[in-house]
Amino acid sequence: MPLPLHDRAIDGSSFDLVRLSLLESGAPARVVDALIPERALEPGEQYRFHFDMTKCIGCRSCEIACNEQNGNPYDINWRRVGELEGGAYPDTLRHYLSMGCNHCLDADCVKGCPVEAYIKDPITGIVVHSADACIGCQYCVWNCPYSVPQFNAERGVVGKCDMCKGRLAEGLEPACVNACPEHAIEIEIVSKAAWKADFTAADSPGMPAARHTISTTRITLPPAVAGGELERVDSGQIRAEHPHWSLVFMTTMVQAAVGALVVMLLVHATDTVSLTLLALVTAVALNISVFHLGRPAYAWRALKMWRRSWLSREVLLFGLFFLSIGICTAASWAQTLDLFHGIHVVLLSGWTASIFGVLGTIASAYIYLVPARPSWNMIHTPLDFLLSASLMGVILAPVLDEAAARLEHLAPRDFAHTPIHYSTWPVVVISALWLINQIIRLLRLRGSSLFESRASFALMRGPLLRPAVISSFAFVLLSSVVILTGVWTLGLACAFIAILSARYLFFVSVVPLSMGLSFLRQRHA
Amino acid sequence: MNLAAKTRSILVRAKRFLGIDTLRTKYAYANDPRFGHISESRVADSWVKTTCGYCSVGCGMLIGVKDGKAVAARGNPDHPVNRGKLCPKGLSEHHMLTAPGRATTPLLRKDGVLTPVSWEEAITTMVTRITSIQARHGRGALGVVGTGQLLTEETYTLGKLVQLGFGTSNNDGNTTLCMASAVSGYKLSFGSDGPPGSYEDIETADVILLIGANIADNHPILCERLQRNGRFAQHRTLIVADPRVTKTAMMADIHLPVKPRSDIALLNGIAHILIRDGLIDRAYIDAHTEGFAEFAAFVATFTPEHTSRITGLGVDRIEHVAHLYGNAKAAFIGWTMGVNHSTQGAVTVTAINNLALITGNIGRTGASPFSITGQCNAMGTRETGFTASLPGYRKFENAEDRQALADIWNIDVGRIPTQRGKAYPDIIEAAVTGSIKALWFVATNPAVSFPNYDLLEFAFKNLEFLVVQDGFHPTPTTALADLVLPAAIWGEKEGTYTNSERRISKVNKVVVPPGEARADFDIFLSIAEALGLREELYPGWTTTRDAYKEWQRVSSGRACDYSSISWEQVEREGGVQWGGDRLYTDGRFAFDNGRARLHAVPCEPFAEQPDKEYNFILNTGRTVEHWHTRTKTGAIAMLNGMVPNAWLEMNPIDAAQLKLRSHDRVTVISRRNRVAQVELRITGIVAPGQVFMPFHFPEANSNLVTLGAFDPISREPNFKQCAVRVEKSVSP
Repeated sequence: MPLPLHDRAIDGSSFDLVRLSLLESGAPARVVDALIPERALEPGEQYRFHFDMTKCIGCRSCEIACNEQNGNPYDINWRRVGELEGGAYPDTLRHYLSMGCNHCLDADCVKGCPVEAYIKDPITGIVVHSADACIGCQYCVWNCPYSVPQFNAERGVVGKCDMCKGRLAEGLEPACVNACPEHAIEIEIVSKAAWKADFTAADSPGMPAARHTISTTRITLPPAVAGGELERVDSGQIRAEHPHWSLVFMTTMVQAAVGALVVMLLVHATDTVSLTLLALVTAVALNISVFHLGRPAYAWRALKMWRRSWLSREVLLFGLFFLSIGICTAASWAQTLDLFHGIHVVLLSGWTASIFGVLGTIASAYIYLVPARPSWNMIHTPLDFLLSASLMGVILAPVLDEAAARLEHLAPRDFAHTPIHYSTWPVVVISALWLINQIIRLLRLRGSSLFESRASFALMRGPLLRPAVISSFAFVLLSSVVILTGVWTLGLACAFIAILSARYLFFVSVVPLSMGLSFLRQRHA
Repeated sequence: MNLAAKTRSILVRAKRFLGIDTLRTKYAYANDPRFGHISESRVADSWVKTTCGYCSVGCGMLIGVKDGKAVAARGNPDHPVNRGKLCPKGLSEHHMLTAPGRATTPLLRKDGVLTPVSWEEAITTMVTRITSIQARHGRGALGVVGTGQLLTEETYTLGKLVQLGFGTSNNDGNTTLCMASAVSGYKLSFGSDGPPGSYEDIETADVILLIGANIADNHPILCERLQRNGRFAQHRTLIVADPRVTKTAMMADIHLPVKPRSDIALLNGIAHILIRDGLIDRAYIDAHTEGFAEFAAFVATFTPEHTSRITGLGVDRIEHVAHLYGNAKAAFIGWTMGVNHSTQGAVTVTAINNLALITGNIGRTGASPFSITGQCNAMGTRETGFTASLPGYRKFENAEDRQALADIWNIDVGRIPTQRGKAYPDIIEAAVTGSIKALWFVATNPAVSFPNYDLLEFAFKNLEFLVVQDGFHPTPTTALADLVLPAAIWGEKEGTYTNSERRISKVNKVVVPPGEARADFDIFLSIAEALGLREELYPGWTTTRDAYKEWQRVSSGRACDYSSISWEQVEREGGVQWGGDRLYTDGRFAFDNGRARLHAVPCEPFAEQPDKEYNFILNTGRTVEHWHTRTKTGAIAMLNGMVPNAWLEMNPIDAAQLKLRSHDRVTVISRRNRVAQVELRITGIVAPGQVFMPFHFPEANSNLVTLGAFDPISREPNFKQCAVRVEKSVSP
């Protein structure tokens, strides 16, 4: 990539751009200090930000310049300034972090993206996001330990800092570099291999550990700060995250369908009407999930990256689950209507569906096992998903059976329905396991050494979320009690409420890793 | 809506909902021919050169215009002040020209309700009512408070209108709330106003002492000068005296966490050491100053131990700082509101000047005492203002000065007052006592910015007629007005500003004002017309250029001599400094004998000391994201989003005692009033026993609790210290 800026600055032809140079008074113009590299990249190298904390005065010009450069609305900030504080008066320390994207060597946004909207540019190393390819699933938002990608609801897609690669290509500094009155931000060249071997200069107080993704931003710390005395100032006010209602419902319903199918297959209760109802539940759940996306019309693209993205795998497996359950139901109908005789087709497709369903549930859980979201990144997440599937399954199957029996009375044909007796003990046992899993998770969050995990616990203890915690525990107990008295339908409703509450909590109580931000935060409407 | 349009709109919404449309055009990038790759929405057809309208650093900017709308703001790379850099307010300044909340039509209170009226009715009503009040209560019954936000040409025009047109000398500016102490201090020491140094001195000084100046928040673009200095100077020591660990204090090599209002003791203490150790410039003192013997005798009592007791600084630290200053090749002292916002502001400035004078650190490269001004054109009001002095730094008391002006203006000299009228706080007090019946505020928002709001409210209730001329409506002040005159703002008019370093800079029109809003200049001319005095006061004037031309004649031969500086030159050169790079290079000062005066400045404790009931000292100040009372920056989403509300800083030790937690909502209570629901920030930035809150927020107005105590010389309020207590707020 040509970098003519240097030359233009020297020959003085660059009226258009801010001088990179600092001119000694009286001396002829010469470039003293370029803020972007003066040579082209060689193989094995990439660009990166260098942030000099000793120079930053916290003026936030970089933030404004970034928003102006990218035409972003005020509440989307691809570059953010955070404040750090330490020591006691009068030896107080105040410093600032100004961060865009860290253009990581091992970027989790790239790995997680189901549609390959991210690429790590092979020449510059810039992590580039394509708004056209993006479907707005926001998985990158969950994956990034720095909360760099931000979802633009108006557009339905995510966006992030691209190091102003369009400007770099023209030999201009990125907008933040250009705007900084203190020259605290610059672009440098880094050897990827050398940085991989030693990236200690990427770590700083107020920043999540660089090892997660090998952030390439080099941070120059003031000498007094190396001891790590500085702390972020934004930790006194933890906000609940977005509930993602469509995901709350989708995960709960699909898990219920998977669980019920397995139970039905185990007790040989795969009658046509039950299967039809199950296929319906799955269809509704999968359709709901689409509306989690910023761009529902392009949901199908999510299949693309099944080789590396758990989100793609979830979509693929649940898609196959739906397909198999569809075949299963169709075969069952064919059998009922005497069009086709082959109970083995029903069973084979049924078991295939259940395998895809269980694998899908596991894939679904793996989506949430991301280091950037500590309260999700626990064994309790897959356990919860599987236990929820089991609990809903053992309750939903008998309810479907009951429903089938009633519906079949109305039907003109003989569905050959044989009522099955379902025992209640699995409900009690699985409820207990489900509760134990939830409680252990809470206790582990409370005792965690990670601030974000403890903050999740604090949120759930707080006035905002405590009712949901109580509701999830109470309704799961109530469901067992009701079912022991024989009212399965009401039991299902209780269990559904319990799991929905827990899932809601799961989403809103997560405290993501992020860079330290400012003390005051904007309030969104 | 017809069916086709309805279908189209549903289709558009469906496409947005399904994500088929991602607003690609809105978020597209394009190539700006001048500034390169950028969001297409910021690509301009043309760029207008101008000067920033916020603070008095005076940054040169380019405003990009497309289809008659301001779309982008850039630092002017060739401007000597900022070399292309801008602070966050400047970088978003173009948004101000499309910001909501502008005053667009004259409003007259009818039956208690502000009702839109024509300009003709507005002006006629204003003139009729004011002249009727003056007829009944005397000319002085009108008080006018102007601003450092107007163009120099407009301030000059306003001064003539008020003093010669309405014939009242009760004319002052909101500049009395910020720079009056500097003006008075300069006059006391040097015989004239005028900051002696230049920004360049910050780059070349080897010792820089900043007192009560948080430039990182308030003048961030000046910080670049410090950094540039650090790069090239062998040694550059930055010393920051501030009771709070400000962003600027963090930049310092030495931070002096002085006790509030102990700055005079520090300055006297340094002078004591300098004299004791012979670190003074005897030759300079003998040749260019007077009063040294008395001064030396006075500071003899400020031994390091005594100074240490008052300031809370260690003796070693004071000695070290004094020796740094005394041994400097070129020492620079900068100050802003920490010094000025005081009942002893003017004399504190002379104490600063004393240090510069006894060491000869004035009139040389890098060596200067230097006030860093607040508003974009506070300096212009000082030069042209017909308020505390006569235009062109002339004195009311001087018959020759009056005659000179009468000759230029072709009026009877008897019409020029022989002494200044009431200063801003005295105008308000006169409204309280009833001798002033009508007030006219121009581009200022006293309901937020004036200390002790209760008294101001009382004054307003006492008035017969309140006129507020502003670019925005409603503001807390326009909401109280009987007449609101909608004015054009920065970017909508043409003229000049003068910055802190005496640099006259050109301000240009980027867009037309919204609705019926008019340039302040045109409003003044219409009022003169209604008074029947337009031709006499403003012969043949149609534009601000005419005002500038007359001002050039008025300033000719004065310290602030504009006579040879044309608008075109100012535009071409990125501003021109009147008086050159620095003043007093020859050691000749503006007193008759040419000598500067050394003053003995006693250090008095501040007026309202904390006690058992009001146990905290409240300090007030600003933050980089906002400007003054936020009529402007509050309307810019990005800036307001960064800092959406006020906060109170409190030391962890005090917070623990009060059992308060960060983000708690607290109430700040003084003897006068209370401010509720302020977000608490527990931080080591402030000392135990002190709290700090920003004064930007009408919703949490610090001036409900501040003290109405004023400097006897400059009349500047003591915004910086008052006694308060802090309680947890009850939920709203």
